[in-house]
Amino acid sequence: MASQVSQPQAATSGAASSQDTLVSIRGLKKYFPITKGIIFQRHVGDIKAVDGLSFDIKKGETLGMVGESGCGKSTTGRAILQLHKPTAGEVLFRDNGQMVDLVKMKGEDLRKMRRRIQMIFQDPYASLNPRMTVGNIIAEPLEVHGILKGKAAQERVQELLQVVGLNPYFVNRYPHEFSGGQRQRIGVARALAVNPDFIVCDEPISALDVSIQAQVINLLEDLQAQFDLTYLFISHDLSAVRHISDRVAVMYLGWIVELADRDTMYRNPLHPYTKALLSAVPIPDPAIEAKRERIILTGDVPSPARPPAGCRFHTRCPIAQKGLCDVQVPEFRNVGNNHFVACHLVPDGAG
Amino acid sequence: MGTLLDVKNLNTRFYTQDGVVNAVNDVSFTLDEGETLAVVGESGSGKSVTMLSVMRLIASPPGRITSGEIMFDGRDLLKLDDDEIRQIRGNRIAMIFQDPMTSLNPVLTINQQISEVLQLHLGMDKAAAKRRAIELLEKVNIPEAARRVDDYPHQFSGGMRQRVMIAMMLAANPQLLIADEPTTALDVTISAQILDLVKRLKKEVGMAVIWITHDLGVVAGMADRVIVMYAGRIVEQAPVGELYASPRHPYALGLLKSIPRLDEIRKEKLEPIEGLPPDLINYPTGCPFAPRCPYAIQKCLEERPPLAPTTSTKHLSACWRWQDVKR
Amino acid sequence: MAVAQGVRPTGQGAWVPQATSRRSRFIDGWRRFSRHKLAVLGLFIVGAWIVCGLFAPWIAPYSYRENNLAVSQQLPSAEHWLGTDRLGRDQLSRLIWAARTALIVAPFAVTVSFALGLIFGSLAGYLGGWVEGIIMRVADVLLAFPGLLFALLLSVTLKPRLVSMMEASSVLKDLVRSGYAELIIVILALSVVGWPGLARLVRAQVLSSKNSLYIEAARASGVNTWRVIRQHILPNILAPIIVVLSMSLGGAVVAESGLSFLGLGVEPPIPSWGNMIYENASNGLWRTANAPYLVWAPGAIVSLLVFAFSFIGDGLNEALNPQIGEGSR
Repeated sequence: MASQVSQPQAATSGAASSQDTLVSIRGLKKYFPITKGIIFQRHVGDIKAVDGLSFDIKKGETLGMVGESGCGKSTTGRAILQLHKPTAGEVLFRDNGQMVDLVKMKGEDLRKMRRRIQMIFQDPYASLNPRMTVGNIIAEPLEVHGILKGKAAQERVQELLQVVGLNPYFVNRYPHEFSGGQRQRIGVARALAVNPDFIVCDEPISALDVSIQAQVINLLEDLQAQFDLTYLFISHDLSAVRHISDRVAVMYLGWIVELADRDTMYRNPLHPYTKALLSAVPIPDPAIEAKRERIILTGDVPSPARPPAGCRFHTRCPIAQKGLCDVQVPEFRNVGNNHFVACHLVPDGAG
Repeated sequence: MGTLLDVKNLNTRFYTQDGVVNAVNDVSFTLDEGETLAVVGESGSGKSVTMLSVMRLIASPPGRITSGEIMFDGRDLLKLDDDEIRQIRGNRIAMIFQDPMTSLNPVLTINQQISEVLQLHLGMDKAAAKRRAIELLEKVNIPEAARRVDDYPHQFSGGMRQRVMIAMMLAANPQLLIADEPTTALDVTISAQILDLVKRLKKEVGMAVIWITHDLGVVAGMADRVIVMYAGRIVEQAPVGELYASPRHPYALGLLKSIPRLDEIRKEKLEPIEGLPPDLINYPTGCPFAPRCPYAIQKCLEERPPLAPTTSTKHLSACWRWQDVKR
Repeated sequence: MAVAQGVRPTGQGAWVPQATSRRSRFIDGWRRFSRHKLAVLGLFIVGAWIVCGLFAPWIAPYSYRENNLAVSQQLPSAEHWLGTDRLGRDQLSRLIWAARTALIVAPFAVTVSFALGLIFGSLAGYLGGWVEGIIMRVADVLLAFPGLLFALLLSVTLKPRLVSMMEASSVLKDLVRSGYAELIIVILALSVVGWPGLARLVRAQVLSSKNSLYIEAARASGVNTWRVIRQHILPNILAPIIVVLSMSLGGAVVAESGLSFLGLGVEPPIPSWGNMIYENASNGLWRTANAPYLVWAPGAIVSLLVFAFSFIGDGLNEALNPQIGEGSR
């Protein structure tokens, strides 16, 4: 059945695992089983949260990943970190010049790799253990990886607090004594503690107030420059993603529908979904807002348990062609200039 | 056009174990018939509490409106008894919230909920009420309205629920709609649908709208006039074009400069507002924004600036140095 | 340095100031606990029990076992405040010594069943899958069986064999002679049936805590399973468990008295509130000597302790959950 076909793999985005590739995702899938029955759990279907993604992340870059709720962007982040074990696919990570597959790693090997890959979470209220002091929260990764212990660890914690712009005097306080922005800084310090190469930022600013968001974005940018970090920046905020990313991937219903350089993506979006998404974002300028043409999409995002056949976007697409888009799965292909798009109606060379 | 709502010196306090929270402080504003007023502010700015006060929906205890006057269509809402205010709520002033589920009853069908309003306030019979309910659902672009009218709230998606809420709110033909961050929990494309819908309905029905939000982008496309709140106080009030082109309060300016823009051309550093909002229990004596303000002088810490006219009588700012504040 | 002292919205515009005080958690908790007057009273009652149990030899005016037929069956007097029994033993002294019996037995029983409940409950909750299946099914079976009946069965069938085994060992011989060995066996039986209830509670708590973001954050930074349970889950689920712990101590006191009353627990001459009720009730002494307090005094003490633990439980519930009873929500 056509609807069962996941996103076809293009060769890959960007140069195929060239030397500057840090993370390489190949055919990544994550299905969550739907079961019925109380005692005997029958497997009646799958929520195809992520359905066959392939992309590379280069060392030192920020790859922005945007999409609406339920598109699978957060699941992708968690699947890369193996917090959700992928259903299929490879997550290759450069370790001592070699690409190792995190999906195949288990137990102690995987736990040790976590030192290299860290995560910053969306909700700074929920992601810090309320019964641990800030010092213990930040020191924990140091201790579990056997890097520093006791007094040395506490010294490093104070140094990290300073790096993220907090007073080192705060070590013995509990998370509830801080504001949202400060807590997010604590989360950043925890991620930085073990000197990782790669950080998955899962909606790190969504729960924060407008004036605080900018503080955290600037902090992330400063740290990237200072420690040569690579980010996967997951967000639904297209303006923030434009600001912070080098390249941007747009997700829809478990697929990446478009992937390109930041400027290319925002100046010349090719996929109809990207176009609609960009046109829907309000711009804080009444003069511009008055003149803008909005593409208002009709309807809601279909359920990832029963994704539409053919192109997954065709049910809402303003330019979908009957007999093509609702039947045939579009290839995710390079249309020039390393501009990747999964749409039948975008001609080759459009990039 | 006449004045629909006139709020004067509104003060709302919350009496908690840790002390008295000064949530709303000397807030005064007016709203004309058919006008769209946006109230912008961050969490803790008092924007929601101000509007809940207008609706007399402050939970007491711990909250209390300590002073002020809320004139709506010639009557002071603060002087009405509970029955009278209930008549006004839902009938003449409607409110929609961020999470529509909090105001929809999960065990009643949409028809039962909309019909209730129609039967109660407009005295319709059951059949007429159902016909009208379907009409209203069609008006807010719910597909297959005739069939879906008998569905329960949980059978609708988030965006559809917000539409149902709007349909319910329209049932009583209100003069004023207060929308408290109704699109914040929605995705961009869905949010665009709802904004589009409200704009259209506003024109059709001719109601006034107060739109509470933290999103300066939404404001730019929706509002006629904007109020910026900080620490429970109005710090700036201006026609929408003027506020964006030449803000006259450092906080409003700071907000505009701190947000990344979709149409940003060069990748520059964002300019965040450093520091944190003040403690509303130990309320500062001077300007509440002074500790974070790049324009602050000694006077700002000592004396609180009043909300006063600047370049025009329509553009107000609560800043001693409004003349120096420039984009 | 200003700490975050803003207010943040909770729910629909209801504003609650952020807890920002720098008072320690302990002092804060004690403040909330002490607001609960009955809980403080409970604390005093339990304190009195513990003092009596620990210092029985010094507090009790007479020996608990020495017979003195010269003063048999006396009514209360200046020498014997609660009178004496048929063998001339001072009743007040026996009540005080019985506190020691309960003090040995109750915490012991509770500790064992709690250790089992915590381990099995957290494993079931955290690991899920077949581990959870097996543990919870066993728990269900045990829960379906009346606890006391199960303990009786165990003691009737196993006790003689275990006692003879223990007598054969040189180390445990003394324990048997002291008269506590049989009780310990029964208490062990009670512990075996006591853990499933707690395991269920712990599992439910772990399940809700397991999916919280800070657990995911800990896993993402490379914390192993055992440390996640110990460092992140247990401290966060401790509050309800401590409350239940306090309540079950009261239950354990009742269980000890009940078993002793039935003749399956502590056997005379070692006093237990249960066997005192039995002794004085069965020989009709309380009626013939016109001394009803011989029966109701031990009974009242047991009830008082149960109430005390239940009050403490309530107080702890408030102390450990800042959200309850603050009235601002």
